[in-house]
Amino acid sequence: MTGMKQIEKFLKKQTSTLTRSRVEKDGIFPGTLKRRPSASKILPFLKDTVSGSDSPSPKDEFSPDIGCLESKWTDTEDDLTSPSLSSGEISPNGSTLSSKLWHLSDTPENIVEHVLEGLLETTKNGTDAEILLDDFLLTHSVFMPTDKLLQVLHKQYCMSASERAENWNEAYPQLKKQKVLRITFEWAEKCKDLLLEDEVAVRLLKDLNAIARKDLHLYPNLNEELTRLKHIVDTVEYRPPEECSHLRKKQVKPLFRHFSRTDICLQQREPLRGTDEIFCRVYASDHSYVTIKSRLSASVQEIVLAVAEKLQHSEEESKEPVHKNLLLVALRSSGEKTMFRLDEDSVFTTLGVNTHLFACTKESVESLVPPPAVERFPHEGPEINEMNMVEMANQITTFDWELLNCVHELELIHYVFRNESIRRRTANLELVLQRCSEVQHWVATEILMCERLGKRVQLLKTFINIAALCKEKQNLFSFFAIVMGLCNAAVSRLCLTWEKLPAKCKKLFQKFESLTDPSRNHKSYRDAIARMKPPLIPFVPLLLKDMTFIHEGNKTFLNQLVNFEKMHMVANAVRTMRKYRSTPLELESEMAANHIEIKAYVRQLHVIDNQQLLYDLSYRLEPKDP
Amino acid sequence: MPEQSNDYRVVVFGAAGVGKSSLVLRFVRGTFRETYIPTIEDTYRQVISCDKNICTLQITDTTGSHQFPAMQRLSISKGHAFILVYSVTSKQSMEELQPIYEQICQIKGNIQNIPIMLVGNKSDETQREVETTEGEALATKWMCSFMETSAKLNYNVQELFQELLNLEKRRAVSLQVDGKKSKQQKRKDKLKGKCSLM
Repeated sequence: MTGMKQIEKFLKKQTSTLTRSRVEKDGIFPGTLKRRPSASKILPFLKDTVSGSDSPSPKDEFSPDIGCLESKWTDTEDDLTSPSLSSGEISPNGSTLSSKLWHLSDTPENIVEHVLEGLLETTKNGTDAEILLDDFLLTHSVFMPTDKLLQVLHKQYCMSASERAENWNEAYPQLKKQKVLRITFEWAEKCKDLLLEDEVAVRLLKDLNAIARKDLHLYPNLNEELTRLKHIVDTVEYRPPEECSHLRKKQVKPLFRHFSRTDICLQQREPLRGTDEIFCRVYASDHSYVTIKSRLSASVQEIVLAVAEKLQHSEEESKEPVHKNLLLVALRSSGEKTMFRLDEDSVFTTLGVNTHLFACTKESVESLVPPPAVERFPHEGPEINEMNMVEMANQITTFDWELLNCVHELELIHYVFRNESIRRRTANLELVLQRCSEVQHWVATEILMCERLGKRVQLLKTFINIAALCKEKQNLFSFFAIVMGLCNAAVSRLCLTWEKLPAKCKKLFQKFESLTDPSRNHKSYRDAIARMKPPLIPFVPLLLKDMTFIHEGNKTFLNQLVNFEKMHMVANAVRTMRKYRSTPLELESEMAANHIEIKAYVRQLHVIDNQQLLYDLSYRLEPKDP
Repeated sequence: MPEQSNDYRVVVFGAAGVGKSSLVLRFVRGTFRETYIPTIEDTYRQVISCDKNICTLQITDTTGSHQFPAMQRLSISKGHAFILVYSVTSKQSMEELQPIYEQICQIKGNIQNIPIMLVGNKSDETQREVETTEGEALATKWMCSFMETSAKLNYNVQELFQELLNLEKRRAVSLQVDGKKSKQQKRKDKLKGKCSLM
């Protein structure tokens, strides 16, 4: 039977994924295995097993206990149990697998029918039907475009009057219509933020609503569903991009460092939408630049046109289009270049922390050099060592929580199943990943920019303590990022600095290193997080890695039928995120006198992300052995 | 061409619509555009001579609408010379320069050695609200130089930038790179007793 074969396949794949990660522990991570591009996008956020430092770990050398750490930061719950095969956060639940619903492998249209059936027979299936609905709503965009879905729902709705199903009785048509409408408004609720730019979907949705309304006199019990549907249809209005700027007189969002304003940074973060407007600096090869205003989801073509318009000097010259020869290129601080295709869109949030956009001709691409770093106004902002650490950790955690809550569940799906043809809607998730990189590099930058040894040791201590506080508040996101920053090869090679750290601090850091150890598929981390109750902030890159491996290890289509088991696994991962965010985060607020200063500081970090430059700074502090 | 520490940075400030971008574009590209496109922040680069070496003149054209105070503070802090533009057709635009001037003084401390040029643009317009004498008076009060210009008619634009560079005492910066002096310039040099002004 097909059902049995699929379980076997699934278990086989799960095991091979785990075996692969065990191999990676001994090899170099990322491994020599061939990966599709989607995996390589996430791997830079994860820790290397081989740290690549050019000197033995200085933390092994213990010096007499100089400083004192308050005992509350020494954590006892990190004792590792003996290693065993990690089951990961997504483990197949034996009991639900036995239900026939999970062996689903069918055409997209039939899947909708299965979902409907599940809802219709709620007594038999209980929560499984709800899970199936959830699985479907989360993942449908992978195998069924929105307009197709709405067409199918439309068809099912109209069909219900005439069809004769096995368990047909007089109540069946109305019941079925109810369920179709339920799927529709649940779907619309989930997607409404993302529908703003989808004209066809909105129209189809309204059509279905209109048809259903006409049925109200025939099927009075539809009233509840219709009210809910109408409510959503009213709030979902398709607005063409040009209208948006008139309708919503919102401020332009500060996405890039140059345009950040402290007062705006202090406000609570709101989810970014494709229709939001931002300012962006676009450089020319000689480092002159123009600043353009653009929609977040603008295509590369639109960006190039805006730049060309600025460059166009006078009316006479407009006859020769400047834009024809311009390419848009993203240049990282390391010098690495990415050229964009004209039809790509939503590129702004894909840029790294210190990555800049250039518009130039094809011939100039080769010689592009990064512009100098955007500087801080001198002497602005408080000293890290003097800041209240609890306040720092609180502010960092609050910000991480805000960023995480801006991420729509569907963004996780869209990120992992990135498809050239689907318009990207992953801006908020990309900002979360950017923040991870930012915090890592912040830690490394601050330490490497500190010229005095004593102060540097103090900084190490401070960062370790902040990490401890983050962990205490169940913010594993920044906890991980800070530890990774301290493990940056340019930092970990500073023997003279590390050896001056008090013994307690060293021990604590060793525990942190164990917790963030990627071996056995991050078993230590997974065990720790399994013991935590929400609210908590997970280490998001790892969640994405898990989802990516599910995606890459399992085909979406088996003989042109949707592999719904895979969809279920993916949906399970999204549900873990849902669980983590299910309870509001409560932190003691505003403990320090200068909490506003600290809040502003934490939200406007300036970092160096050029690894070579970090190494250079490191050699200046502690020269290489000849 | 990467920015080096011997770049010479000129920043242009002024109210919205006075003609900052027009002046800069007229100087850098020699063109003029009738349509108004509000600037956020643009920077242009041009090769010039500096202490007999090549260096880069970097002209930053700012926004008239005070949207980014941090960016403004940073430009002032990094800038070497400043052009404060108003329009002779708007008294208010001249008044709006006061807080900018004050911020430059505050951030730079001592402005004695900092080239600052007060510019009354749109001198081609007939409907004036500000007379030349008023501009001169303000420049005297601020102890800076003064000029009236018209980007539209390309009047005094080249001279504006040349004069600004001439004001720079800390090093010898010049627009000409090839060593040729104009007659006008040679005469000026003789009178001032300066060297290497091209």
